Amino acid sequence: MIEIRGLYKNYITAQGSLTALSNINLNIKEGEIYGIIGPSGAGKSTMIRTLNLLEVPDRGSIMINGEEITALNKKELRERRKKIGMIFQHFNLLSSRTVRGNISFPMEIAGVPDAEREEKVEKLMELVGLSDRADHYPSELSGGQKQRVGIARALSNDPEILLSDEATSSLDPESTDSILKLLKKIRDELNLTIVLITHEMDVIKKVCDRVAVMEEGQIVEEGKVIDIFVNPQQPVTRRFIKTVIDYNLPEGLNITQKGRLVRVSFKGESTHKPLISLLIKKYNIDANILYGKIDEIQGIPFGTLILDLEGSDESIDEALEFIGQLGLAVEVLTDEQSNSI
Amino acid sequence: MNNLTQYSELIWNGTLETLYMVGVSLFFAVIIGLPLGILIVITRKDHIAPCQFIYRILDTIINIGRSIPFIILMVAIIPFTRKLVGSSIGTTAAIVPLAVAAIPFVGRVVESAMLEISPGVIEAARSMGATPLQIIMKVLLPEALPGLILGITLTAINLIGYSAMAGAIGGGGLGDIAIRYGYQRFRVTVMIATVVVLVLLVDIIQWIGNKIAAYYDHR
Repeated sequence: MIEIRGLYKNYITAQGSLTALSNINLNIKEGEIYGIIGPSGAGKSTMIRTLNLLEVPDRGSIMINGEEITALNKKELRERRKKIGMIFQHFNLLSSRTVRGNISFPMEIAGVPDAEREEKVEKLMELVGLSDRADHYPSELSGGQKQRVGIARALSNDPEILLSDEATSSLDPESTDSILKLLKKIRDELNLTIVLITHEMDVIKKVCDRVAVMEEGQIVEEGKVIDIFVNPQQPVTRRFIKTVIDYNLPEGLNITQKGRLVRVSFKGESTHKPLISLLIKKYNIDANILYGKIDEIQGIPFGTLILDLEGSDESIDEALEFIGQLGLAVEVLTDEQSNSI
Repeated sequence: MNNLTQYSELIWNGTLETLYMVGVSLFFAVIIGLPLGILIVITRKDHIAPCQFIYRILDTIINIGRSIPFIILMVAIIPFTRKLVGSSIGTTAAIVPLAVAAIPFVGRVVESAMLEISPGVIEAARSMGATPLQIIMKVLLPEALPGLILGITLTAINLIGYSAMAGAIGGGGLGDIAIRYGYQRFRVTVMIATVVVLVLLVDIIQWIGNKIAAYYDHR
């Protein structure tokens, strides 16, 4: 659906050249919800804006449905944009138009006949649950309702792709959840491809199928959300995961330094295996559970355990190897890490 | 009171002259100043039709236009006025310099009203595939409307002030009456009467402007 190859973008600022995107390569499949997460300044905002060329890359190729969009002329680009909806952190609704008027707006731009437009507006208001607010102005709506208008507006020209630029970042947790549910619903009903950027790992966890982690203009890690959660490779990814699954141990906790502190992550079927009792039986070590949680990502059970393993170095090594063989991800937390991560 | 009745026709005619000068010059100032303001907004860096060259030229013209004192402008463009309306004295002749002085003012007013629009709203329109013309007609103008109305109200009130100087070229109007009768002939009553009428005029215009702007303001 979307194929990005070797994308580069630099900004010239007063302080010199600033790299916003550096060798970005991505494949986004039809019908998936693809998340891009990164700290602020990582380039994710630039990244998503290149997909409808609100930002023009310096180099690289962006193919949408086999069409190279960087090669389009102005008129062709405007036509293409009509098939790419976009929603924004600050909603960007027209304050001078009602809910109805805002949803109708992109169709006016596209020259859709009046009757067809009115019919479509009614349908979309129903889809996002705002039929009773049709004649209200944006200033009379809550943040969540404004974003619903934004979504309805973005859908009005039947796009193939929906771009979501931090769409839930200025919403309260409850509205965030309802907007994320709505995004999932429209993906399922309309088979849209959704690309969203966020700095909240919770958003990724709740709706995304795959995720790319960006840092300093580069994609440092990419894959299925569940895999990233189970087995993160990069420090930045771990930091993000920690915002959702907080396995910080209280500082006051006195951990006996006889053994080793490990984090074990497991998913799917392996959540059912009696890991601890196996360890104790097979390797003559003690396993002290300091933290445990089972969660669900995209319907797959996913768990985290923090264990304090006590026993001889040798048997602990063997035990860790055994855990690895079971298909579980193990991470040894050093003394330093146990306090700082 | 007698004096006032005696001069009431004079003041009534002056009021009509003032309204005529201000109304017509405001009309032309908006007709020309509005596109000028739009042009200076959209040619800005990062706007919908960036063009440093046009922006700089317009910016300079507006600044020059606004820095020339009205009384000097009025005299300086006499040849232009004569060509345009056939005469350089009289009420109609005063309209030309008034409009010319108000054009750059309207340009700035339009500019500041349109710069208040969040760039995100314009970006949203671009993301939908809107043409620059569609963005002007469907985003910039309607979104800036309350600000535009207040700005035009402000221009009208400034024009009332400027029109007092139109007496210098025989333009008539309330300000002219105040100077000729009140100041030069010591008719204090006339002066007070004209000032009262001017205060009322300004008040009413501001009130109407505020009402209309509030009606369109949904921010």
